[in-house]
Amino acid sequence: MENFSEVIQLFFSLENFLAIAAGVVIGVVVGSIPGLTATMAVALALPFTFSMQPIAAILLLVGIYKGGMYGGSITAILIRTPGSPASACTLLDGYPMAQQGHAKKALKAALYSSVIADFISNIALIFFAAYLAKIALNFGAPEFFWLICFSLTIIISLASGSMIKGLMAALLGILLSLVGLDSVFGSQRLTFDNYNLMDSISFIPLLIGLFAIPEIMEFYRKKAIPHIKAKASGVGLTFAELKRCMKSIVRGSLIGVIIGAIPGTGATAAAFISYSDARRRSPNKANFGKGEVEGVAAAEAGNNGVAGATMIPLLSLGIPGDVITAIILGAFMVHGLTPGPIMFQENLSLIYALFMGIMLSSVILLVVGNVAIKYFSLIADIPKSILFPIVLMFCVYGSYAVNNDAFDIGLMVAFGVLGYIFNRAAIPAAPFLIGFILGPMFEDNLRRSLLIGSNDLSIFVRGPITWFFIALTVGSIALALYRFVEARRKAQQGDSTSKSA
Amino acid sequence: MKNILSATCMAACSGALALSLMASTASADEWPTKDIHLVVPYAPGGTTDVLSRRVADLLSQELGANVIVENRPGAGSTVGTGRVARGGRDIDHTLLMASPGHTIGAAIYPGLTYDPVEDFVFLQNMVDIPNVMVVPADSPYQNVVEFIEAAKEENMTFSHSGVGSSIHMSGELFKTLTDTNMTAVPFAGSGASLPALLGGDVDVSFENMPTVLSHIRSGDLRALAVTSAERSEYLPDVPTLSEIGEYNLDQFVTTAWFGLIAQSSFPEEAQSVMQDALAKVMQREEFLDFAKQLGAQPGTVAGDEFKQFITDDLQRWEAVAEQAGISQ
Repeated sequence: MENFSEVIQLFFSLENFLAIAAGVVIGVVVGSIPGLTATMAVALALPFTFSMQPIAAILLLVGIYKGGMYGGSITAILIRTPGSPASACTLLDGYPMAQQGHAKKALKAALYSSVIADFISNIALIFFAAYLAKIALNFGAPEFFWLICFSLTIIISLASGSMIKGLMAALLGILLSLVGLDSVFGSQRLTFDNYNLMDSISFIPLLIGLFAIPEIMEFYRKKAIPHIKAKASGVGLTFAELKRCMKSIVRGSLIGVIIGAIPGTGATAAAFISYSDARRRSPNKANFGKGEVEGVAAAEAGNNGVAGATMIPLLSLGIPGDVITAIILGAFMVHGLTPGPIMFQENLSLIYALFMGIMLSSVILLVVGNVAIKYFSLIADIPKSILFPIVLMFCVYGSYAVNNDAFDIGLMVAFGVLGYIFNRAAIPAAPFLIGFILGPMFEDNLRRSLLIGSNDLSIFVRGPITWFFIALTVGSIALALYRFVEARRKAQQGDSTSKSA
Repeated sequence: MKNILSATCMAACSGALALSLMASTASADEWPTKDIHLVVPYAPGGTTDVLSRRVADLLSQELGANVIVENRPGAGSTVGTGRVARGGRDIDHTLLMASPGHTIGAAIYPGLTYDPVEDFVFLQNMVDIPNVMVVPADSPYQNVVEFIEAAKEENMTFSHSGVGSSIHMSGELFKTLTDTNMTAVPFAGSGASLPALLGGDVDVSFENMPTVLSHIRSGDLRALAVTSAERSEYLPDVPTLSEIGEYNLDQFVTTAWFGLIAQSSFPEEAQSVMQDALAKVMQREEFLDFAKQLGAQPGTVAGDEFKQFITDDLQRWEAVAEQAGISQ
């Protein structure tokens, strides 16, 4: 490559290295504070990049993005308060692990799977960007509709224990997701003329309320939870455990890559889809939700797999897939660069220098993450009577910080009560969340498809991608039904043998 | 002695009075006396936010005071705007970055708690960004007239970035003026709506210029017209809609405008300080470069002219919203 020396020259500058390192550190710290999301940090950092060199500017923002994606998992695992929406799935197994004294193991599993997923995602960005971007363009509303249908069938596998309770939770999630403005007509739905509800229910107060508050309420209800004498932070992740999780991490990363490459889906959905997929395939199925390390790994692989891949539509098509890449697009434009096919022709050296920086950010994440774990895992050793009042303060602050609005604190308290009821009645929260996240996507893409196709239903079977996801959806439902019938038959057999005995 | 005393007393009093008067004029001259808050009624990261942060940066240099950007997103832009309209502490040091959401929001959401014109003072229109009528590269329509003729025969779809966006309302305005068959297809933001247009799932869109400029240049999209009154310097060969001259399109002039406004109780002294500072900001090279990156023209109206502009904008969107049956 004739431009190689130029790439090296562009990349190897102190400013670039400092920018990546600073970005990852800021991302991890901000991501770990509930209510402060990576999106906010990227937006707030943008003005500082105006005066920087273009590559350093972009790498700073990318570093914050990647660090933030991982940082969210720290508080999710330690205090059951997801630092960002995408890490909501991580706490399903991460927090039970911390409770069992394996906080460090969970944090390490989250870090390693994040870094591996990040790496796979970067590889996909560097080598398959053009190809994946093409698939993304073929992914219209009907294709999306079937992808969401397939994802919704995942709820079946997440409804541990009672199927009825799982469905109840999922439907309640879908019902609450309807609150807000109608996407086609702009009319208000279930807002009761309250302006704060017009933009639908705020996700972060919902998450904090649903998970952190019930834990605190439970603590004060029981009053004396025995202190764990041993160091609660526990030991790290063994190589055997990492190896056991590897399949789920790789699959989760690929799920993240595909979802990240399609504009408009997001890391939260990727985490849940990866988690459910891992659970369905894992030999430790029964342990999921109770502190399974593979669950943490799958969730984190899913959301970090998205990080590199969202750069695919941005760099190859100039289309930002989410808010963060929209801000990064802004940073490109401030420096007179326009991402898209033309940039690959005109600024190829710059793109390669950028790729090198993005690869380096994965390595830095590994280093920064390890240091962060060393100190953060000490939180698990703080007595709950001291920790929980502090957590409660962060809950209130985090809920307020999203929109600078006291209404969201009320919202958090309301969801805290709901979460408490869920806990007491053994209703699983995961299907509720999936319903809340996927419900609007289901509705929007259904209506969008009908609008595009002028109400002609044939649009739903228009091409190979739709056929593929229809097959998956039908297969998934059939499998669940088969298992249900089989389990019932076995139970009846068991009944009759016990009777005959 | 008594006289001397009372005289001294008088002198002291009048001196104090004079001093306090001087002090009050001095402090008025000195506006801003504390940090200025710039309310952005959208989430971090959008065009409004990025522009606001740039303006805040330059403005704080001109005024020698901190200008703090506060994001208050929600319900179009009506939550943040409502807050500024309600007033409260520091309202004499609070600015609002208004955009088409200011007038469109008022046109489509019933029962707003504020009046988008009377409850505010209008300082300066900062930038105007035109929208571009774009079709996919393989679309059979080479110009606006061909498109309209076809849209009178069969139903066309147009994508937009959300109900009440300038992209959506431009499409509705086009449909109303030309009396064509068009269906709006909503997406969550331009990032999601653009693939639908590039992939040919929808027939046309009235996107913001910066979003589609690179795709027009790369040949993936074809620009049929721009929506501003004058041709854009970035697309000099593309006609304006008002140039078409037929199908009532001479009335079609819209831009996505961004301007600074404040609550109606904003002190007059502060208004003049602000207008002077903003005029300086708009001449700065950094600002002009930034506007260029956005594909924007620096705004031309300020004060009463800006108010009139908003009033007209509001009336137009109210008419379009009513015809299109949006929201109400």
